[in-house]
Amino acid sequence: MVMGVVEYILSPLLALIIGIFFLGLSRKIMARIHWRYGPPLTQPIIDIIKLFSQKSGSHGSLFNLGIILSLAGSIVVVLFMPFGQMCPLSSSGGLLVILYMMLLGPLGIALSGGEGANPNISIGISRKLILALGYEVPLLLILLAVMTHYETISIVEVVKKQQHAGWSFISLPLLLPGIAYFLILPAILGLRPFEVVQAPQEIASGPMVEYGGKFLAFATIQHAFSLFIGIALFVNLFLGGASNPVTFFIKMLVVFILGLFINAAFPRFRIEQAVKYLWRWPTLLAFVGLIVVLIIRR
Amino acid sequence: MDRNQLAKWLKAPAKMGHKYSLHAVYFCTGCGIIEVPPVITARWDAERFGVIPVATPRQANLFLITGYVSVKTLKAIIRTYEQMPEPKFTVGFGSCPINGGMYWDSYNTIKHLDKYIPVDGWIAGCMPRPEAIFVAVTHLWTLIDKGMADGYKRYRENYKYYRANQEQLYGTLEWPPLFPIEDKNE
Repeated sequence: MVMGVVEYILSPLLALIIGIFFLGLSRKIMARIHWRYGPPLTQPIIDIIKLFSQKSGSHGSLFNLGIILSLAGSIVVVLFMPFGQMCPLSSSGGLLVILYMMLLGPLGIALSGGEGANPNISIGISRKLILALGYEVPLLLILLAVMTHYETISIVEVVKKQQHAGWSFISLPLLLPGIAYFLILPAILGLRPFEVVQAPQEIASGPMVEYGGKFLAFATIQHAFSLFIGIALFVNLFLGGASNPVTFFIKMLVVFILGLFINAAFPRFRIEQAVKYLWRWPTLLAFVGLIVVLIIRR
Repeated sequence: MDRNQLAKWLKAPAKMGHKYSLHAVYFCTGCGIIEVPPVITARWDAERFGVIPVATPRQANLFLITGYVSVKTLKAIIRTYEQMPEPKFTVGFGSCPINGGMYWDSYNTIKHLDKYIPVDGWIAGCMPRPEAIFVAVTHLWTLIDKGMADGYKRYRENYKYYRANQEQLYGTLEWPPLFPIEDKNE
């Protein structure tokens, strides 16, 4: 019982620390790729401390509540996500709950930004929802393939079966969905080929335009959580999860650094190019993977 | 750069945060902006000082006035400055915002920027080298440490003076006063 309560507190806290560490690491690694020295690893923490100490103007109650909804949705998804052996809620939920709750993050930001009534926000929100539509289709097919292969909707069961049978990323039936998930991972994380939502050079950081002070701090924390969620889902589904948090963290780190290299090398898609890409290659791979899984099961 | 100042961090985290996380609003007022791209990109790398450009004034707390300020630009500068969350710091870059510089007799530029918005520090020169921005940033750190970078407080206290100067230049302003203007004599 006590262990359960501790897990409820510890799991989002670890997710937050890892997410913020990833934010700092991404800035440092991007700097080294640009042949710069780069900021210290603690720079996101300094930024968050500064943002919390700033005065910030609000645009109404929905503006305040939307960002909290987004943050709360992300924390709930983290509770459903197995982290090593630590999984406070995952026995009662499963992949379907994660799929639903993952939408709360973008939706909360959209609600909050809508109150700001800035044209850049409207463009950013429409892009965010279109992009979500773009990656939800392949994500659904991928999760369907995984659930059909392992005959379960519980993510804990998926991890357990992989620990007996090996990673699903290197087993034949789930290889194609695994590759498809890696292809849509930048879209889920908002990394560069799919950085259409923020796009500081075009639409002045999109939904974040009116966020200053505490709002931006909460949005940064939410971004840290969403980084954790996107990568942790990949590690759990395809890289066999882990039996302890340290191994899990190392696997996440490898996936994230690979994603950063993609982020550093590619320019930005336009939104219709992004959706065209997402609905073509990852969807095709996931669909073929699903058929392969069905044929093998026969 | 001394980052091992744990005691200071524990004593006043907000002040240290303001020091080491200066987000500059990326707003091109004049020719001086040509010095900013080398500063923020690979050649001089301002990010190691915690200085990054952001796209909107709401997220920024450092305002670099780069180069001459024409009368038309000043209107946008005032509005941008008023939208930035407090505490906010302004640095005049180049000799034109200080006293008009080579545009001292132009009908279309303002001569003294600090009559219209408060300025925390100046970088003299035409053009200043990019390194001068880092010197300015380190000076600004010292000022923040001593509590002397108080332009936003001066703006609130002397808003009547600044607003009068702005109205003198433009006739009527199309936005309401940021702070209530009360007459202390009445």
